[in-house]
Amino acid sequence: MSDLSVEICGVRLKNPVIAASGTFGFGREYNEIYDISKIGGVSTKGMTLLPREGNPVPRIAEGRSVILNAVGLQNPGVEHFIKYDLGFLKSKGVAIIANVAGKTLDEYGEICAKLNGLVDMVELNISCPNVKAGGMAFGIKPESIKEVTRVSKSGLTKTPLIVKLSPNVESIPVNAQAAQSGGADCISLINTLTGMAIDIEKRRPIIANNTGGVSGAGIKPIALRMVYEAAHSVEIPVIGMGGITSGADAIEFMMAGACAVQVGTANFTDLNAMPRIIDEMNVWLDRHGISRVNEIVNTLKLNG
Amino acid sequence: MKDLTATIKENKLIAENIYELTLTLPQKTEVKGGQFVNISTGDSSQLLRRPFGVMKAEGNDITLCYQVKGSGTQNLADMKVGQTLEILLPLGNGFDLSGFKKVAVLGGGVGIFPLIATIRANPAIDFYTYAGFRNSAAVCLLDELKKSKRLTVTTDDGSYGCKGNAVQAYLADAAELNPDCIIACGPPVMLKILKQRLEECGNKIPCFVSLEERMGCGIGACLVCVCKTTAGGNARVCKDGPVFDINKVEL
Repeated sequence: MSDLSVEICGVRLKNPVIAASGTFGFGREYNEIYDISKIGGVSTKGMTLLPREGNPVPRIAEGRSVILNAVGLQNPGVEHFIKYDLGFLKSKGVAIIANVAGKTLDEYGEICAKLNGLVDMVELNISCPNVKAGGMAFGIKPESIKEVTRVSKSGLTKTPLIVKLSPNVESIPVNAQAAQSGGADCISLINTLTGMAIDIEKRRPIIANNTGGVSGAGIKPIALRMVYEAAHSVEIPVIGMGGITSGADAIEFMMAGACAVQVGTANFTDLNAMPRIIDEMNVWLDRHGISRVNEIVNTLKLNG
Repeated sequence: MKDLTATIKENKLIAENIYELTLTLPQKTEVKGGQFVNISTGDSSQLLRRPFGVMKAEGNDITLCYQVKGSGTQNLADMKVGQTLEILLPLGNGFDLSGFKKVAVLGGGVGIFPLIATIRANPAIDFYTYAGFRNSAAVCLLDELKKSKRLTVTTDDGSYGCKGNAVQAYLADAAELNPDCIIACGPPVMLKILKQRLEECGNKIPCFVSLEERMGCGIGACLVCVCKTTAGGNARVCKDGPVFDINKVEL
């Protein structure tokens, strides 16, 4: 058994496998399948100051090795989370990452201030492709990434801030550096890639929102390249995600420079995906005589 | 709720584009009428499992019917006896008919199949079943449907049974029949019309509908398969449904 624990911004995780926002709710449903205290952390469903009903249905479609979703940030609001879900997650001993989004800069500041000191980390969703106001609007240009990071960080005197980057941009290194210079303690990537799926009988997009965020095994090579680029352009830690389905996938991301990983869509295909990924990582590390998972981070050697 | 590997016992064509799939589970699993399962398609590039209402649960076997609609159901149709699928079950809340004695059953298209489980599970209830198919080529499972006290079959084109649909056939009988409960499953437009008609005629009989929606996780975590509630806000079809009181959902 290797030591799978990692430390990110002073937060200790028992292993580097975190549930990705939007695929895991607040953990209660998956806890009926397995004891979620087995996983390293939970990034919550994206939350806003006030409850949101989200987009019309259909909200999901499928492509080869990918899915598309446009839930549109349906959530019960941050106060509801603090009152009803935070205690449950605390009782499970997982690192609690509150994923948040705002319509305006002020909203980002306000929601972060409400969570200050209550959760282990806050993850800023500045890259939701499925809502019209806010979300994506902040996540494209480096200037606005820096600004939304700065405003959010000002409310977080006790809690480290992760900025989740969009892949639908010109330059990952430039945007990663913008988050760092705005005061981010950590970066996570990638959020979903904007895509479309069409019902040819109806000549209409399958998803009511027309476009949706593409995720799942099929996006892994793109995500891996972007995580590598981000990890090599900033000093702060990077959490990698995008199509991770196996222990080997997670190890690839860590070799590319991620100090932890998030697993999302794989949870739909295999409800036990995360405990399985943790076991598979352990087996690989044991087979290679590596005693601490930390030792593989950023060990990728490029070809001549 | 269990996540199991099931072996295909039978996967046969029973009507035009309609297959009956029987899976043997490694253990006996209780499934209520109206509950559903989430199964893999047998193609690992299809990341989403597919939700199907259960038609029959006997011993370790689960039977469901599906229509070949897209590549997922086509993959299922290509699966052979002895091959395995991943299955998560039982999901959702099912129909609760405790206290009812005379129940009208309205099924349209593939919505007929999950209602059969409810008929089978409640031998003490008199079911008056209205099964609406597209045409005679789609008509199937009459042996099962005939377990009802009375069966009325309709087809859209009149090529089998009465011309029309299940809602029309029921409404024509409603006054004389006077059931103490209505259960329904079928395409969204059928349930929408049922709700409208029941409202128009001032219906007081409890009516429960089983809804269908594109799903992600199947366990209530991802908020993909929602429907609007009349109280405002969303309900999750997979976890809060798929069976709802018709007066509590927008259709």
